[in-house]
Amino acid sequence: MQTAIDIHSEDGRHGRGAATASLRAENVHKTLGTHPVLRGVSLAAYPHEVISVLGASGSGKSTLLRCLNLLEVPDSGEIWFRDEKLDIRPPIGQNGARIGDARQARRVRASLGMVFQSFNLWPHKTALENVTEGPVHVRGLTRRAATERAENYLRKVGLIERRDHYPRHLSGGQQQRVAIARALAMEPEVLLFDEPTSSLDPELTGEVLRTIRALAEEGRTMILVTHELSFAREVSSRVAFMQGGRIEEEGPPDEVLSRPASAGLRRFLDPAC
Amino acid sequence: MGGFQEQFLRGLETTVLVAAISGTLGMLVGLAGAAAKLSRFRVLRMIADAYTTIVRGVPELLVILLVYFGGTAALTALVGSYVEVSALWAGVFSLTVVFGAYATEIFRGAIQAIPRGQTEAALSIGLAPWQTWLLVILPQMARIALPALCNLWISLLKDTSLISIVGLSDIMRVAVVGAGSMRDPLTFYLAASALYLMLTSVSLLTFRLVERRMLAPLH
Amino acid sequence: MDIALIIESIQTLLGGVVLTLELTILSLLIGFVLSVPLAFMRASRSPWLSWPVLAYTYVFRGTPLLVQLFLIYYGLGQLAFVRESFLWLLFRDPFYCALLAFSLNSAAYTIEVFRGGIQSVPPGLVEAAQAIGLSPTKISLRIVFPLAFRTVLPSYANEVVGMIKASSLASTVTLLEITGLARKLVSETFAPYEVFIAAGAIYLGLTFLASRLFNLIELHLSGAPPDKARRPWLLKLRQAL
Repeated sequence: MQTAIDIHSEDGRHGRGAATASLRAENVHKTLGTHPVLRGVSLAAYPHEVISVLGASGSGKSTLLRCLNLLEVPDSGEIWFRDEKLDIRPPIGQNGARIGDARQARRVRASLGMVFQSFNLWPHKTALENVTEGPVHVRGLTRRAATERAENYLRKVGLIERRDHYPRHLSGGQQQRVAIARALAMEPEVLLFDEPTSSLDPELTGEVLRTIRALAEEGRTMILVTHELSFAREVSSRVAFMQGGRIEEEGPPDEVLSRPASAGLRRFLDPAC
Repeated sequence: MGGFQEQFLRGLETTVLVAAISGTLGMLVGLAGAAAKLSRFRVLRMIADAYTTIVRGVPELLVILLVYFGGTAALTALVGSYVEVSALWAGVFSLTVVFGAYATEIFRGAIQAIPRGQTEAALSIGLAPWQTWLLVILPQMARIALPALCNLWISLLKDTSLISIVGLSDIMRVAVVGAGSMRDPLTFYLAASALYLMLTSVSLLTFRLVERRMLAPLH
Repeated sequence: MDIALIIESIQTLLGGVVLTLELTILSLLIGFVLSVPLAFMRASRSPWLSWPVLAYTYVFRGTPLLVQLFLIYYGLGQLAFVRESFLWLLFRDPFYCALLAFSLNSAAYTIEVFRGGIQSVPPGLVEAAQAIGLSPTKISLRIVFPLAFRTVLPSYANEVVGMIKASSLASTVTLLEITGLARKLVSETFAPYEVFIAAGAIYLGLTFLASRLFNLIELHLSGAPPDKARRPWLLKLRQAL
């Protein structure tokens, strides 16, 4: 009886039976420079979940996302991809924390699609080439197969007719949709979005949000760092509110956003009060 | 090195002397060239353009050869009997021409990098055009041009070695003579390398210091 | 000044163009191949990688090419291991001495040019490549270097023009490229003006063509139209040559 409860509490956080989380952070700490950005954050994304991470700028939400695919290496704590713990070496003296197993990190990153705030499309490659890069050079697909796959995803984000355009000839919204296609073409287990609409003009955010909503409706596992509150409420199965490097509140969006328990979230939702 | 230390020392003097004279004259040529390039007069602009395009598109060695052998031929024709041009002055003239061409481009770029408002502000408080140049444009231009001038000066130092080909007794020439007579080219050319490296290092350090001085009040 | 003699000299000196181009292009190629990995080392944050390369570029950029050439041409034969090995087959030939000196010199300048480019690549573009799991080598060669090369193209073009001009030093180790032929011709005709001006005209033509070529490449890379960007460039190139 005792053991059964233990197993249940290990795998069954948030009451999801025995399912394994697709991606999980355990008690992650990260200091950038002298500033402690993450102070013990735990977050798990289970299959088909859409988690929105909210919080003021500087609350650590982007750093958390970057820790999940090791673009930042946590100083302490654990990152789990399914049932695999990522090899992280803690900081020693002057040297910061670093990746222990570069191959593992690359393999796992290939399964975690990342979409950046500033798109980060490669300017010397066309939209199509941006999307085929990973399938050809990471997955080892033939050029023909990769092109076919890339065309599918460009079609999905509505940009197939722009396949031969260079990023500088695309609008911000189009660039971000190509970046989403680039992430999708790796057929990732989890999609990570780092404020995907924050550097877009307001009239261009709609097309990107529509694309993300369609992905959520397909049942993809996603973690979304965003400022778009109403969007987060609509698409998320769960929201997490971060403040001062910690997750303050976490739960179903209707619950958390309608009845905020902490003063911090109340202030965040309604700065006027 | 069989008494060659002293000769190297004199060679060093010659190298520095030739570079210093060519550099100073070249700066003046560069200022004049930049003024011509930015002038209202089309003819001046065309002459300056032709000057920089031709000189920068031709090997420095060829300029030296042309000035030295061409100068000798001209002087011989003028005097009526064979007269050889001094390698030092032929070298100084050639390198002044080369340095001037590059300096022209550097100064032109630096002047154009100064915001127009600076000139307008100077004229608006009643400064004469020549005062505007001297008090407002030149000091700002010098700051912008300094890093490029430092590189140009180092190129000049190294280019002086080419004058040894027409017989100037500089560091390089001493090394060539020493290498031949002592049958030890490695030692002599390594010694020459060390001397040149010392000159370029000292130049770099000096420019760093000057740059820090100049930039200090701005930042 | 004898115009007919200038034209005649140009015809003779054109015979040296092949050797000038051979030396220039081979040195640039070798210099390029050497400089790509070394530039990455030079740009590295680890002093163990960066410092040895800095020492190399500092020495080669701080001393005259003529000294480097003579050191190789006259000095290498003094070393027993060179004289007693297959290397001697190469380095008793002035062509290979010049090629070695020019390549090492060109590499030193090119390394510093590329280093600047590498360090100017926005970190986000590297992160995007890491995020799809691209290996470090592929990130360097497929993302960072192509972008770096674009940024520094004008500086690299200067380096190419500089190499064309520097190849004239080959004449000091008996090679009969353009300048070598010109010096020989002057000693035969005693007409320094005409011959050296003819040589200058040829160099001017070569350096002009080289900068034109790089202008076109730059134009192509910076202002590529959205569709089928590659073809108009080839067209323009064909028109230009």
